[in-house]
Amino acid sequence: MIHRRTVLFVLALAACATEASAAELSACVTGPTGRPIPDAAVVVEGATVDPRMPRPLAAIEQIDRDFVPFLTIVRQGTEIEFPNRDPLKHHVYSFSAAKPFEIKLYAGKPAAPVLFDKTGDIAIGCNIHDWMEAYVLVVESPYFAKTGPDGCAKIADLPAGRHRLRLWHPLQRQAVAERPLVLDGADSIRIDATMEVSPRTARRKPPADKDDY
Amino acid sequence: MVFRSIERRIVAVFVGLLALVTSLTLLLVIESNDRVVSGESERRLGAGVRTFDYLVAYSQSQMETAASVLARDFSFREAIATQDRATVLSVLRNHGSRIGAGFMMVVSLDGMVMADTLAPGGKPRPAPFDGLLRAAQATGQSAGFDEMDGRLYQIAIVPIMAPGQIAWVAMGFNVDDSWARSFSAMSGLGIAVLAESDGRTVVPAGSLSAELRDALGERSALPPPDIPILMSLNGQRHHVMARPMSERATAVLLLSLDQAEAVFRDLHRSLAVIALGGAVLFILGSLRLARHIARPVNTLAEAARRIEAGDYHEPVPDSGADEIGQLAASFDRMRQGIAAREQKILRLAYEDGLTGLPNRTWLLDRLGRTGPTPPCAVLILDLDRFGLINDALGHAVGDRLLRLVGDRLVATVAPGIGVCRLWGDEFAVVRDGTDTEAAIALSVTIHAALQEPILLDGQRIDVGGSLGIGFWPQDAADSNTLLQRTELAVREAKRQFRGYALASEIGAGPPHEQLSLIGEMRDALLRQEFEVFYQPKLDLASGRVTGAEALLRWRHPSRGLIPPAQFIPFAEQTGFIREITPWLLDQVVARTAAWRAQGLNLVVSANLSTLDLLHSGLAPLVKRLLASSGLPPGQLCLEITESALMDDPDLALATLNQLAESGVRLSIDDYGAGHASLAYLKSLPVHELKIDQAFIFSLMESGKDAEIVRSTIALGHALGLKVVAEGAETDAELGWLKRAGCDVAQGYGIARPMPGAEVTGWMADQDSAVAR
Ligand SMILES: [Cu+2]
Repeated sequence: MIHRRTVLFVLALAACATEASAAELSACVTGPTGRPIPDAAVVVEGATVDPRMPRPLAAIEQIDRDFVPFLTIVRQGTEIEFPNRDPLKHHVYSFSAAKPFEIKLYAGKPAAPVLFDKTGDIAIGCNIHDWMEAYVLVVESPYFAKTGPDGCAKIADLPAGRHRLRLWHPLQRQAVAERPLVLDGADSIRIDATMEVSPRTARRKPPADKDDY
Repeated sequence: MVFRSIERRIVAVFVGLLALVTSLTLLLVIESNDRVVSGESERRLGAGVRTFDYLVAYSQSQMETAASVLARDFSFREAIATQDRATVLSVLRNHGSRIGAGFMMVVSLDGMVMADTLAPGGKPRPAPFDGLLRAAQATGQSAGFDEMDGRLYQIAIVPIMAPGQIAWVAMGFNVDDSWARSFSAMSGLGIAVLAESDGRTVVPAGSLSAELRDALGERSALPPPDIPILMSLNGQRHHVMARPMSERATAVLLLSLDQAEAVFRDLHRSLAVIALGGAVLFILGSLRLARHIARPVNTLAEAARRIEAGDYHEPVPDSGADEIGQLAASFDRMRQGIAAREQKILRLAYEDGLTGLPNRTWLLDRLGRTGPTPPCAVLILDLDRFGLINDALGHAVGDRLLRLVGDRLVATVAPGIGVCRLWGDEFAVVRDGTDTEAAIALSVTIHAALQEPILLDGQRIDVGGSLGIGFWPQDAADSNTLLQRTELAVREAKRQFRGYALASEIGAGPPHEQLSLIGEMRDALLRQEFEVFYQPKLDLASGRVTGAEALLRWRHPSRGLIPPAQFIPFAEQTGFIREITPWLLDQVVARTAAWRAQGLNLVVSANLSTLDLLHSGLAPLVKRLLASSGLPPGQLCLEITESALMDDPDLALATLNQLAESGVRLSIDDYGAGHASLAYLKSLPVHELKIDQAFIFSLMESGKDAEIVRSTIALGHALGLKVVAEGAETDAELGWLKRAGCDVAQGYGIARPMPGAEVTGWMADQDSAVAR
């Protein structure tokens, strides 16, 4: 439930910024068979951004030997902390070019959050639990959202203007080309998109009671 | 197959049965061994395939495990993520050598080789095992066999996750000879990996010898997968099963059948040795047994052969108390019985029952009837007037007389000289050696000894006799001929009133002339050199000539007139008489019929020989001649000598009966010279009796002979026979005969034999003389 709160929080920020002429984008992503695809990032780029807009601290928790949330979208320069809610230790790392880092075996809350100061996608894993994975998408734009279980994401308070719509998914098989997005006023726009995504069921984690060795 | 020896048969049966049982056993063993071998090899092949599969799976999982461990290594992943190629390579090398991998590689997600232990400094290139890589991309990871740079590897590909996939790690084991050898050591099977390379079959790995490998490589077609088949490689049989490894590589597992059969071959060899040894023992044993059985049997057979050959003296050996011993005992009793009987038969066969002397059979045997015998002289003695004595004084007296004569002969001759009785009043004396002088001296001695009258019941009887001397084997080719010729000599001696005559003198000269005579006789008949002479017969009561005897003459172109005594014996011996007699009868019948036509009715006699009488065609011939000429049968008279009847009395009697039925007159010739009794003659269908001329010659000198002739005439008349006297030469004799009641006379006193053409003239002269 944490990620939904985060989205709402982001949307609330956007609503405060451009109150006068605000458009809302509703994007729904499906697979080739029409199945809704959750955890896809929908990013509107190219809008003029007030540099003072705050970058609130994000968190990727480790709960029951899983990263939560699976996908985290942050603005460039955001810090993310990795609180460990499990009674055991994790070794969080990333070899991704945008942010290689490593938080060696720890329990509870790590000493410091990690600053994501470059744009790009970062795959985060745990060196102890191979199945644990999480993704961070670092973007310039503050206008982003990720699709829910219904495959749809909503971005409110979009300024009018010529923008680019970018779709991304951690398990996408192919990169999806950016597409232009023209907004003029208080329209409510709905966009349907398709993308191919590998299933997330590839690596199952073993049951917890077997994990105490 | 025929075994003539019981021994061989026993051995054959025993050894044959053993051979049958042994070969059946061997066949069974070999057959079941084959089944065991084939089943065992299939089982081993199946186990080998399972081992193979297990080892492949095992090394695959080993590689996968190793690769997975590597793929999770934090530093390794870090090195890859940071493009630290040197570190990546050293990690790969380190890991690879730890597990013994042939190669280790890191392959990027887009299929480019980023690090390769085989080519550390090489440029990035597409991964060579793209099939396996595609499979890994599809399913997350893959493993299998593939070829790379001409070598075959077992390859495993696993992803490197961080945590999303950042690359592939691939590693492979060399599939080479040492791989094959270790598999072979583990499974006990041979293995060869066949791979397609540029359309050729290569053998990248194998545990086999170079030759087998080549032989396998040369086969164009791979064996069908997963089916055990038999394959001959380099002349060795193999059980083979193919196991596909990849699209282009197939593992062939081989089990040498020869090897599998080797164990059984040893067994077969032992069995064969046992069988052979058994056969040898059996042959020896059964030979021993067979000998044990066969030896007494052979001994018996040997004894039987001896008995068969006429040797009854050797006792049959005793062969124990078993069945064969009992057989031998009864065999010996049989031998004794046969010996005794043969003794008796021999005595009967070779002994004359009347005199106890050896008989004619004995003499014939002595003269080589059953084989060559030493030379000897045979003297045949014929008593004078014995028939007349027999008839006049009775059989009993005749028999006693013959016994006394035999006794006297035995007493006369030296010891070692054989005396035997031939038949009737004929005796023979056999002297070894062919000394003519000695033989003649012996004849003179015997002749002299018989001059002494024999005393019988107080009566002095003059016997006397004449002898013929024949030499064996100079005088004849066989014993019968010798006796015949010697008997002829006896007759000749009698005719000439001599004590003896030599057979060699009879029949005109040396043997080669006789032979030529025999040859010429045939031509003589064709050339009509034979002539018939007729000697008139006078009816004493009427004083008229009422008949004539036909006599054969041979007018030889160079030798002149040959008397019958010189060629008739040979004609009889050679059987040529059978051709002469019909000719003679034809002549006689024709002549008699001609005379009849002229009003001269004569009864004409012709002489028949022994052979004629034994010839069944004679009676029909006579009938035919009579019928065609129209001559009444009563005008033909046939004369038979006593001895002619003796050879086969039954057949002779049959012929005589046929002739008698046809109405022809029959006459007994030379009566008194032989031994036939009147009692026998009485049973013959004869009409006439001709008294031998020997009696007539001495009619006037010997009162005894006169008495014999008188009683013979009386007896003849008593039997209803006409009595004819031969050899009447003087008027005194004719007068005596007329007074004695003799019916007919014939002789020089009446007329000599004359050609047929002269008879009518002579008759006319007679008539005119009577008329004067
Ligand atoms: Cu963990």
